Amino acid sequence: MSGYAGKILRINLTSGVISELDTSLYEAWGGGHGIGSAIFWEKVVIEKQVDLSAIDGFHEDNVVTIMTSPLTGTLAAGASARTEVQGIGVQTYPFEWFTRSGFGGRFGPMLKFAGWDGVAIEGRADSPVWIDIRDGEVEIRDASTLWGLDTWEAQEKVWEEVSGGTGYGSWVEVGPAGNGRKSTQRPAVLTIGPAGEQLCRVASLIHDAGNGSGQGGFGGVWGSKNLKAISVIGTGTIPVANPESLLETRRWALENFTFSQDEFEPSMGMWATMPSNFRSFPVPLLMWQRTEQCRPQACFGCQAGCRCRYDPGYGNESSCKESGYYTSMMMGSQQVSHLASLQAAAGSQALPLKDLAADDAPDVSKQAADLAQQLGINTGELETGIPYLRELYMMGVLGPGREIDCDLPFDRFGEYELVERLLTMIAQREGIGDDIAEGFTRAALRWGRLEEDLQTGILNNCHWGMAMHYDPRVSLEWGYGTVLDARDINEHGFCPLYMIPTLSQYSGKGQPVTAEEFAKIFSERMVPYHDDPLMLDFSSANMYSEHVAKLVAWHRHYSRFWIQSVLFCDLQFPDFFNWAAPGYRGITGEGEPRFFEAVTGRELSFADSIEIGRKIWNLDNAIWTLQGRHRDEVQFADYIYELHPAEWAIFTMPVNENGEWTYGPIGERSIDRTQFEEFKTRYYGIEGWDPDTGWPTRSTLASLGLGTVADELENKGKLGQE
Amino acid sequence: MGNLKERETIKRPPGISRRDFLKVSGIAVMSVRFAGCIIPGRSIPAAEGYLLIDTRKCQGCMTCMLACSLVHEGFESLSLARIQIVQDPFKGFPDDINIAQCRQCEEPACLAACRFGALHVDSTNGNIRTVDPEKCVGCQECVKACPFAPGRSIWDFQENHAQKCDLCAATSFWDGQGGPGGNQACVTFCPMKAIAFTTEMPVQEGDEGYNVNLRDGIWQSLGYPAD
Repeated sequence: MSGYAGKILRINLTSGVISELDTSLYEAWGGGHGIGSAIFWEKVVIEKQVDLSAIDGFHEDNVVTIMTSPLTGTLAAGASARTEVQGIGVQTYPFEWFTRSGFGGRFGPMLKFAGWDGVAIEGRADSPVWIDIRDGEVEIRDASTLWGLDTWEAQEKVWEEVSGGTGYGSWVEVGPAGNGRKSTQRPAVLTIGPAGEQLCRVASLIHDAGNGSGQGGFGGVWGSKNLKAISVIGTGTIPVANPESLLETRRWALENFTFSQDEFEPSMGMWATMPSNFRSFPVPLLMWQRTEQCRPQACFGCQAGCRCRYDPGYGNESSCKESGYYTSMMMGSQQVSHLASLQAAAGSQALPLKDLAADDAPDVSKQAADLAQQLGINTGELETGIPYLRELYMMGVLGPGREIDCDLPFDRFGEYELVERLLTMIAQREGIGDDIAEGFTRAALRWGRLEEDLQTGILNNCHWGMAMHYDPRVSLEWGYGTVLDARDINEHGFCPLYMIPTLSQYSGKGQPVTAEEFAKIFSERMVPYHDDPLMLDFSSANMYSEHVAKLVAWHRHYSRFWIQSVLFCDLQFPDFFNWAAPGYRGITGEGEPRFFEAVTGRELSFADSIEIGRKIWNLDNAIWTLQGRHRDEVQFADYIYELHPAEWAIFTMPVNENGEWTYGPIGERSIDRTQFEEFKTRYYGIEGWDPDTGWPTRSTLASLGLGTVADELENKGKLGQE
Repeated sequence: MGNLKERETIKRPPGISRRDFLKVSGIAVMSVRFAGCIIPGRSIPAAEGYLLIDTRKCQGCMTCMLACSLVHEGFESLSLARIQIVQDPFKGFPDDINIAQCRQCEEPACLAACRFGALHVDSTNGNIRTVDPEKCVGCQECVKACPFAPGRSIWDFQENHAQKCDLCAATSFWDGQGGPGGNQACVTFCPMKAIAFTTEMPVQEGDEGYNVNLRDGIWQSLGYPAD
């Protein structure tokens, strides 16, 4: 099928054997996550018969896949750049789940241009190595000169090596001399920094300046495999089934659903882009003040760069979490807290572009961002973890000579010296840095504080030991989705559901459509549940209902296929409400299949695509089941069952009261333990899983063509009861 | 490859750079052997179209490269794209990005280097400087002759011929008219509007004629430098 390179690189670091997998055997899974899960199942569960309940992410038998999609490296808008990383992670607690992460940039496209749809890494090298891919030529190379370098230094060193010392700026020969293959591009390098080398559970994979695969701690997993970096340079081609259709679909998509430089309204401010998904402007999501001298910088093929490169170069390609993890100094959900400050500041006034900068020290923020990227540390952990440390310091628990003894200069919070010292301690596992390298949840466990701090919520890690992103008590699809998945889902498709009405209210502009119409704009694309707009009723009366269970199921299935397998960017898709489109109807439902068909030639209805997502989701649940998941484990941290603080932001959202749709305040509430159990039962019922265990059943698996998965679960005593 | 062998017998005099030698010898040979292409003593006609770029407006997405290869080749390729974006993610703005588009030079060194009439002035398409792959013998002299880095005349190592920007005059995989009188894929698909088309010949000396300010008030309102 067009779009695919046709083969997947399989590298066994233990034996040094390099081989290929035929991509066509996996095309039914779409790409990315679907193929990654299928390979993991096939190689680890079936072929090696590894007992998944007995190994952790650092185990030699763990297989890490780095996968692209058929749309990677093409003109498919919003789906050209991302790369999916999977394997048993080392970050989640108390289970090290089989999990995923992803990153943008140009690594995935370059892998495709080199002729590979992905890489499957098995085993463990005896000593540090890096993988050198130049089109079809692949070599496992000694990394002794790279080990110890930070992620930026390592990339530059690899670039120099691959160019043969000629440097870049002109055409560089690729592969054996005289073969004619040339590129102007630097190799795309995915690497770990010192944190990964030290097997930190908060270590990320970094590519270029600011593309990070952080969640899951795959940097530490690579470190355990003695794998420093993968470099790829490709001079080949990516087949497109219908070039004219792809060009026309791109034109159609951008003209009808994306920003126009002619329509930008400065008074809408940065938030004009945040809740806009596919319509996003080329404006970065930043927590620092942008200087005048910068450009937007985009991932490969993207129409709207969401980060910048700056003069003189601090903060390049960092955004969102990286930009605010240190100086934003906010407890809890960044966005929610930000919104609260906006409400207070803006009143009914329009929100000017630059009033959203939470940071008076942009240089410190940028340097702190660079440091996290260079050391290869996951800022998703740091963003809530640093305020946690600060709280412990303020409580008199942490500091010189205190219970948690450290010499961190918290009296100089906000200055670069503190964050530099802290991150260096983590990356080198010095002092309490050794505890934090395990992640803040495990650090709290070491300090004997975990139970207490998850009850009070000063440790804001509410699901699987991972930091809260959007509050589960408010953002139901996010919270429920995360606790039913294996990581903070980080999928922004439903953010407009809370952002647009809230911002419309506080900006004084009024709501663009009625609450009923607003809910319908979302629900009507959510096949097969498209006749149920009550999925979008986030009222307290509805938050444990079968309607919301359908929302969560749909979101998991949609994301597994379109976001994590076909690799549409999660900041852009799904695109329901779109300011630029007629009737505010976004591109979702029509756009994804059109791009998919133009590139692959495969006609795929939106309903069928959701079914593939359901199939992938079921395979993932089978893996988690073998790892030891049971419905009893699917829980939030204690503080989530307590009242959501009233001082935090209240969202304005569509609610249905007594059959009438209206916009109402959503915020100050808790999740009720008993009713959450009832919700899980409803959810498992919708998935066709055993409500007593949460395990997949034979009938459900068989209906998805996964009968052999049911066989394996049954052999291991883990098949759900009908 | 007989012609190529014949070319290799031409020796470069000592003290003359290779590029200068090829330029001079190429023009001389062409004047003799392809007198029908260029009239000796007269400059070749100016192209009727040029690509202007704004390197400060480019977001480095490389959409132009994807569009270029797709409309010309029917597949995606970076190495065969006739416009190249070269970037260094660690450098500061604006030195982090270079856009390498063909300048349709008034006095094209690539054309001068071609002794086989492959790289020619296409009078039916606004005098663009383009390659006839049927005539290309694969000597790659045009590739080496381009004085800009990276070179704008590129080597198609799959089909074994040179190729370069034709302002989309010959796009087998794109509807509609291209060339100087039509649309260009890189201009059309650049989401930043960082590439523009003009019929007016830019100043040939240096980059200022080609690398221009395409930013406007909207760009400034997005928080980016407009000047």
